[in-house]
Amino acid sequence: MRSFRIGVLLGFRQIQRASVWTTGLIIFVMMLTFLNLIAVSGILVGLIEGSERAVQEKSLGDIIITALDDEDQILQTETIRRTLDTLPEVASYSIRYQQGVQIVANYKTRRDFSTEPNSIGTQAVGIDPAAENRVTALAENIVEGEYLNPDESGYILIGALNLDRYTAGFADITGSLKDVYPGDSVRVTIGNASREFTVKGIINAKAGGVASFVYLPEKELRRLNNSVSRDASEIAIRLADTRPATALAVKSVLEDQGVDSLAKVRTFQEALPKFITDIKQTFNILGTFIGAVGIIVASITIFIIIFINAISRRQQIGILKGIGIDRKAIEIAYVLQSAFYALSGSLLGALITYGVLIGYFDRNPIDFPFSDGILVAEPLGTLYRFLVLFVITLFAGFVPAWIIVRQNTLNSILGRKD
Amino acid sequence: MNIIEAKNITRSFGTGDLKTNVLKGIDFSVAAGEFVAIMGKSGAGKSTLMYQLSVLDEPTSGEISVNGTDIIALSENERTNFRLNTLGYVFQNYALVPDLSAEENVMLPLLMRNYDWQVAKQMARAAIDGVGLAGKYTNLPAELSGGEQQRVSIARAVAGKPKILFVDEPTANLDTVSGTLVIDLITRVNKEEGQTIVMVTHEREYALGCNRIVYLEDGLITKTETLI
Repeated sequence: MRSFRIGVLLGFRQIQRASVWTTGLIIFVMMLTFLNLIAVSGILVGLIEGSERAVQEKSLGDIIITALDDEDQILQTETIRRTLDTLPEVASYSIRYQQGVQIVANYKTRRDFSTEPNSIGTQAVGIDPAAENRVTALAENIVEGEYLNPDESGYILIGALNLDRYTAGFADITGSLKDVYPGDSVRVTIGNASREFTVKGIINAKAGGVASFVYLPEKELRRLNNSVSRDASEIAIRLADTRPATALAVKSVLEDQGVDSLAKVRTFQEALPKFITDIKQTFNILGTFIGAVGIIVASITIFIIIFINAISRRQQIGILKGIGIDRKAIEIAYVLQSAFYALSGSLLGALITYGVLIGYFDRNPIDFPFSDGILVAEPLGTLYRFLVLFVITLFAGFVPAWIIVRQNTLNSILGRKD
Repeated sequence: MNIIEAKNITRSFGTGDLKTNVLKGIDFSVAAGEFVAIMGKSGAGKSTLMYQLSVLDEPTSGEISVNGTDIIALSENERTNFRLNTLGYVFQNYALVPDLSAEENVMLPLLMRNYDWQVAKQMARAAIDGVGLAGKYTNLPAELSGGEQQRVSIARAVAGKPKILFVDEPTANLDTVSGTLVIDLITRVNKEEGQTIVMVTHEREYALGCNRIVYLEDGLITKTETLI
């Protein structure tokens, strides 16, 4: 206890009397280290988190019901619909019908039948426009034209990835429609049945598949498909509480009510494409690696700072030992200085991260081709990384002090080599 | 009753052809309450002798007993504790902690001896008053003159009333006025507190207030002069 008291006095006074500029610079380095540790890995993870969030918000919903593995459609879709209507946790749901279609754009103006038609094979999604908009806010993804009205027919929305002007560089691989704009007519063909639709809008979103489909009212798709069955391809469900735990609980309720015998019920996280979870893990490892490099740099910085500080006070340390101050007290003084630098830098870094950066990236996501990158800094993860940084910094402060303090007392006083 | 007893002390540095024998078998004793000065030319071994007696260094051979304790047998931690509780030091270069105020410098060994903060502060201020620096408690060493710093150093050494005070060339960096003031202070501590003092000095005029002057030459005691 007495050593601690002396250590605190010596350490506190050293910090207090040190040059403001030097102290500021050290704290600045620690702050950058903290930001490197939290923000860099946070942005890497945020890229995928942004992608996940987009898939949840714009495509899958909180729970997604799809056909069983050995079925083409969800069985007894109407029964499931009635079940969903009874659950208070369900805010809205959208029943979707999917069908492969052929779309031709220049069928009216094509004169030379020896040339390639302006056509594409794609997936059509039959939706109730209002219900779909409640679940995925699909209307917000309109980049040209307008969204579908519930009471009109003969209109179609085209995903941007089906259009030549949105797929520069990919068009040769995927095929695309050229010069199709809202108001143009296209012919949609399923098997032998064809019908003309007017393009009402263009959809674009960085969420799995949303921009690669075409959308039309489900009644018109079923009519074109000549299908009387009301069994759907998938049902996307939006919950009042979108947290994963609630999704798991509602999934469990649906299973208890036998829905899992009619269809596959998955939470959004369970249904995420595997490549997203794989990339997330990879980015996490990458972020941790970059953070580890940052920690090593910071610990070396602290080591050098404390070492120079201690070596320049070698005589003073010798005198302190000479007058009876024990080693521990002197070591505590230097460890305390390290703690001060680590705490101050981390505190500043945390303030910048939570007070500025997270809000900034939420408002201005980084525009990546596959997602809108945000900054993810979970408090628990941040605390864990801070603790790692803190402990390593203390160690980096302790080692040089320990090296200097254990030198021969008289040699230290006289400035002689050991 | 001798408070310091040293028998056949030798101290060598280096090995082989580079070996230097600084102390060559010294017998030395100091009685309790005595004020002894060690004098000699540079390189005579006077500081080296004091370092052996003051538990800052270990002799190559010989026996040293300080206040009844065989100091050669002490571990590093025991030596630190022994220095803290039994000895006081005044160094040539004042040796104050630059980041601490005058009173904090004096408080340091007192706190290490587990005195309560307020008690240590009172003792420190009394010691600073005793060396004539009342009112300069919160001054940093850099805000004090050389003589004042040495007086704070004396206050630090005597505040805990150690049994023995070791003083290493206390006037080496001071002008005549400050040097005389410092020597007067040390002499007063010996006379009023009855503390045993061992002082190394170059200047005979400053040693004249001692009980005894021991002269060293080439690692051996060549003469002892009893003054009082």
